[in-house]
Amino acid sequence: MTTIADRPAATATRHRWLVQLGVDSAYVLVGLPLGSIAFALVLAGLAAGVALLPAFLAGIPVLAGTAYLARGLAEAERTRLASVLRRPRVGVFYPHSRPDATPLRRLFTPFTDVQYWLDALHALVRFPVNLVTASVVVVWWLITLGGLTYVLWDWTLPQEPGGGIPPGMIVVNDVPLVEVFGLANTFGNRVLVNTAIGAVFAVTLPFVVRLCALLEAWLAHAMLNGVAGLRDQVALLTRDRDAAQAQTAAAVSAEAVALRRLERDIHDGPQQRLVRIAVDLGRARQQLASDPEAAARTVDEALAQTREALDELRTLSRGIAPPILTDRGLAAAVAALAARATVPVHVGISADLPRLTPLAEQTAYFTIAEALANVAKHSGATRAAVVVELHDDRLVATITDDGRGGAHVAKGHGLAGLTDRLQAVGGELWISSPPGGPTSIRAEIPHPLAGAGDGGGTTATVRPGPSA
Amino acid sequence: MRVLLADDAVLLREGLVRLLTEQGHEVVAVVGDGPSLVSSALSLRPDVSIVDVRMPPTHTDEGLRAAVSIRHAWPGAPILVLSQYVEVSYADDLLADRRGAVGYLLKDRVADIAEFSDALHRVAAGGTVLDPEVVAQLLVRRRAHDPLAALTPREREVLTLMAEGRSNTAIARTLVITEGAVEKHVANIFAKLSLPPDEDTNRRVLAVLTFLRG
Repeated sequence: MTTIADRPAATATRHRWLVQLGVDSAYVLVGLPLGSIAFALVLAGLAAGVALLPAFLAGIPVLAGTAYLARGLAEAERTRLASVLRRPRVGVFYPHSRPDATPLRRLFTPFTDVQYWLDALHALVRFPVNLVTASVVVVWWLITLGGLTYVLWDWTLPQEPGGGIPPGMIVVNDVPLVEVFGLANTFGNRVLVNTAIGAVFAVTLPFVVRLCALLEAWLAHAMLNGVAGLRDQVALLTRDRDAAQAQTAAAVSAEAVALRRLERDIHDGPQQRLVRIAVDLGRARQQLASDPEAAARTVDEALAQTREALDELRTLSRGIAPPILTDRGLAAAVAALAARATVPVHVGISADLPRLTPLAEQTAYFTIAEALANVAKHSGATRAAVVVELHDDRLVATITDDGRGGAHVAKGHGLAGLTDRLQAVGGELWISSPPGGPTSIRAEIPHPLAGAGDGGGTTATVRPGPSA
Repeated sequence: MRVLLADDAVLLREGLVRLLTEQGHEVVAVVGDGPSLVSSALSLRPDVSIVDVRMPPTHTDEGLRAAVSIRHAWPGAPILVLSQYVEVSYADDLLADRRGAVGYLLKDRVADIAEFSDALHRVAAGGTVLDPEVVAQLLVRRRAHDPLAALTPREREVLTLMAEGRSNTAIARTLVITEGAVEKHVANIFAKLSLPPDEDTNRRVLAVLTFLRG
C-alpha cells in the first residue's frame, strides 16, 4: 500500500527516469555530429602533421595544434559526461610549460604528456562507436514515436482495394506486417499491430538509450579521465606524505626546543640552589664548633634554599607533564590553570569530557596554558574564557580575552611554539587578534579516544568515593 | 601518637620515620601502596595516617583515593595527605565528607618540624589542615565576582589562616596580635561574607572553605 508520504518519492523516481532519458538521448545524438567533426579534424590534423614532418618546422606546429584541438574536444566531452555518469566532472591537470620556456619548447609540451595523445586517440575511436549508438537511438526513438502515433497517419498510406501491397508499407518477405501476425489487413488490425510494436519499443527505450549512452560515456571516461584519476591519487598521496614529513619535522623541532629550555631551566634553577645548599651546609658544619648561633642562621638559609629549589622543580614538572592532567584529565587540569591565572578565567568544559590520549590532552593543556600566559603577560585583559569542545574527530579549544589584541605567532609572544606543538600532532592553530582586541585563539587537535590506543584513561574510570 | 606511614619513596620514608620517632611518636606500620594502606589503616586504627598522594599501583592519585576509601569504611579516620603538588580539586575530595580530621600539605612543609608536628596533632585531634598554597589558589579563584574585596588586608590575612585550619590562638600567635583582636576580625569577616558565626574551630573552617569553594 502506498502511503501519502511515499507518493512524492515515487513521482520523483518516475521524473528522474524521464530526465535521464532526455539527458542520455541528447548525449548520444549531440555526440554524433560532435564526434564526426572531432574525427575529421583530428584525423586531418594528424595526417597533415605527419605528412609535413619531413619539413620539420611545418609539421610540428600542425601536430601541436591538433593536440590542443583534441584537448579542447576532450574538455567538452568531460563536461558532457558528468550528467550521464551522474558523477562530478573530473578536473584534469595538463602540464604547463615552464614560464621561462622558449616558444619552441612550449610547442613540444603537448607531445610530452600522455593525456594529449589519449585525447586525440579518443577523437578517433569514438567515431565508430558514436555511429552505432546514435543509429540505435535514432531507430528506437523513431519506431517508438511512429508506432504509438500510427493511428494518426495510417490514412497517408495508400491502401490497395484488392489487398495488394501499397508503396511505403512495412513488409516482411513481401507480406504486409499485419499478415505476418496472422491478421487481416484492416485498419483496426494495422493500428493494433503498429501501436503494440511502438509500445514495446517505448518500454525498452530508456534502457536501450541508457545502454548506448553508458557505452559511449564509459569509453570516454576511461580514455579521458583514467590517467587523471591516477594522477590525482598520486598528487593526494604526495600531499599526505609532505604533510606527514612536516608534522614529524615540527614534532622534532618542538621537542628539541622544549628539551633545551628544560635543560637551561634546571641549570639556572634547582641545580644552582643545590650547590648553594651544599656550600651553606659545609659552612654550618665549620661554624658549629666556633659559633653555634651563626651555624643555626646558615642552616636556616639552607632550608629556605631547599624550599625554593622544590618550588622550582614543581614548576618545571608542571611544565613537562602536569600531575593533575595525568591524574584527572583535561577538565580538572584546565580548571586548576584557570584558578592560578592572574585574571578571572571562565572555563567552559563539560565535566563528562572523556579521557583522551595523553598526547592530545597535553597538547590541549599546554596550548591553553601558553595562551593564558600570553593573556597575563601581553594582553592587558581583565578577563578571559577557555572553552573546550569535542567535535566529530577533533578536540577544539578556544581561548578568548578582552585585551588589546595584537597577539601573533611570530612576535615571540610565546605563541610561536604553539604552531609547532599543534602541527606535531596533526592539529591546527588560528589566531584572531586585531589591534584593540579582542584576541581569540583556536586550536584543533585530532583526538583518538584513550583506551583505543593506550590505557591513558584508566584512572578516571575507577575512582571510588565522592568527588567535587 | 601511633602513626601509620604510607609512601613508596624509601629515602623520604626513612627520613620521616626517623623524624617521627625523634618527636616521640610510634610508627606502627610503613606501607608503600594504596591497597596495603587501606587494609593496614582499617586493621591498626592509628591515631593518624601520613599518606603520600602518588603511590603504586597507578602512580597517580592512589594515596588520595585510598584516603577516601578508608574514611568511607572508617568515618573521620585522621589522615594527613602529603604531596609534591597541591591542587584544589584534590583538597575537595578530602573535604567532601565534612568530618574534619584531614590535612593536605606540600611535602616540603615537613622541613619546618614545629609546623609539621602541630599539623599532625591538629589532624589527630579532628581538625582540618590545608596548605597555604591551596588556600592561595582558593582565594585567587574567588576574584571573578569578589565579595572578598570588602575585607581589609588584615581580615584577609585572618581569613587565610582560618582557611588553613588555624585556631584563634594560633592566628593570634602568627599575626602577633591578641586573641580578642582575632575574635573581632573573625566576627567582621563572617558579617561581611554573610556566614553564620560559629565558635567551633572545625565547623568554622568548613564554613570558610565551603564559601571559598562555592
